[in-house]
Amino acid sequence: MISKRPVRVAAVAILAALLAIQVVAVERTNPPSKGVFEAPPEIEATLRRACYDCHSNQTRWPWYSHVAPVSWLIARDVNLGRKEINFSEWGSYYPATRRRKLKWMGRALGEERMPPWSYRLMHPGARLTEADREALERWIESELKPPSAETSSK
Amino acid sequence: MTRPFKLLTFAAFLLAATTALADAQDSTIGIRFENHHFTPQTLTVPAGQRLAIKVENASNETIEFESFKLNREVAMTPGQTITVHLPALSPGSYDFYDDFHQDVPEGAIVAK
Repeated sequence: MISKRPVRVAAVAILAALLAIQVVAVERTNPPSKGVFEAPPEIEATLRRACYDCHSNQTRWPWYSHVAPVSWLIARDVNLGRKEINFSEWGSYYPATRRRKLKWMGRALGEERMPPWSYRLMHPGARLTEADREALERWIESELKPPSAETSSK
Repeated sequence: MTRPFKLLTFAAFLLAATTALADAQDSTIGIRFENHHFTPQTLTVPAGQRLAIKVENASNETIEFESFKLNREVAMTPGQTITVHLPALSPGSYDFYDDFHQDVPEGAIVAK
């Protein structure tokens, strides 16, 4: 007969380890915004729904972001996401930085890399429809248009 | 040795050999990030030749080596060194920068 003792010991050890790692503090911050982000309301609404959790200082920290080790992964993703592009700091970006970020945004949308599947899994409402993508791409294109072209078309 | 194990060993050998060959074929250039800037800031490389760029983050901050034109973005922790492999470049200038710090001056790889 196989002894159940090792299984029980392993289960208790895992449980104890899970409890122990909960004491490791994770920073879940929402610092104040730097400058205003301006976009048409429908674009802003889409970005808020699909991107803001990782790419702004207005992250909605879900309950599981308080449970290690998931909390570590979420905090790391948010931290990196904010460094990549942060709509709450849009106003403080140099014009050249904005253009760079918009270009990468366009590429990520085109390749359907964003929002990532793992995020979409937990946030079905963050999924982008074809119409959302097209609207975002049109907005990016208009933002990247040089001002002279805009003036001459008027 | 069992057949699956032999196959696995052969596959691992093939992979190692291919990687080594690719590294040997690529000409390697180095870029160092320190004191908030890349050195050298401009690199001239031969066009039409595969390239490996060894990037060293010698600073004490996390940076992101990024280039939109080269379609590369790699976050690097302090002290980390990475190798970015590039295909043969067409003649032209390819800018690169630290995407995490917008005040870091841009660098450029010029393919001639």
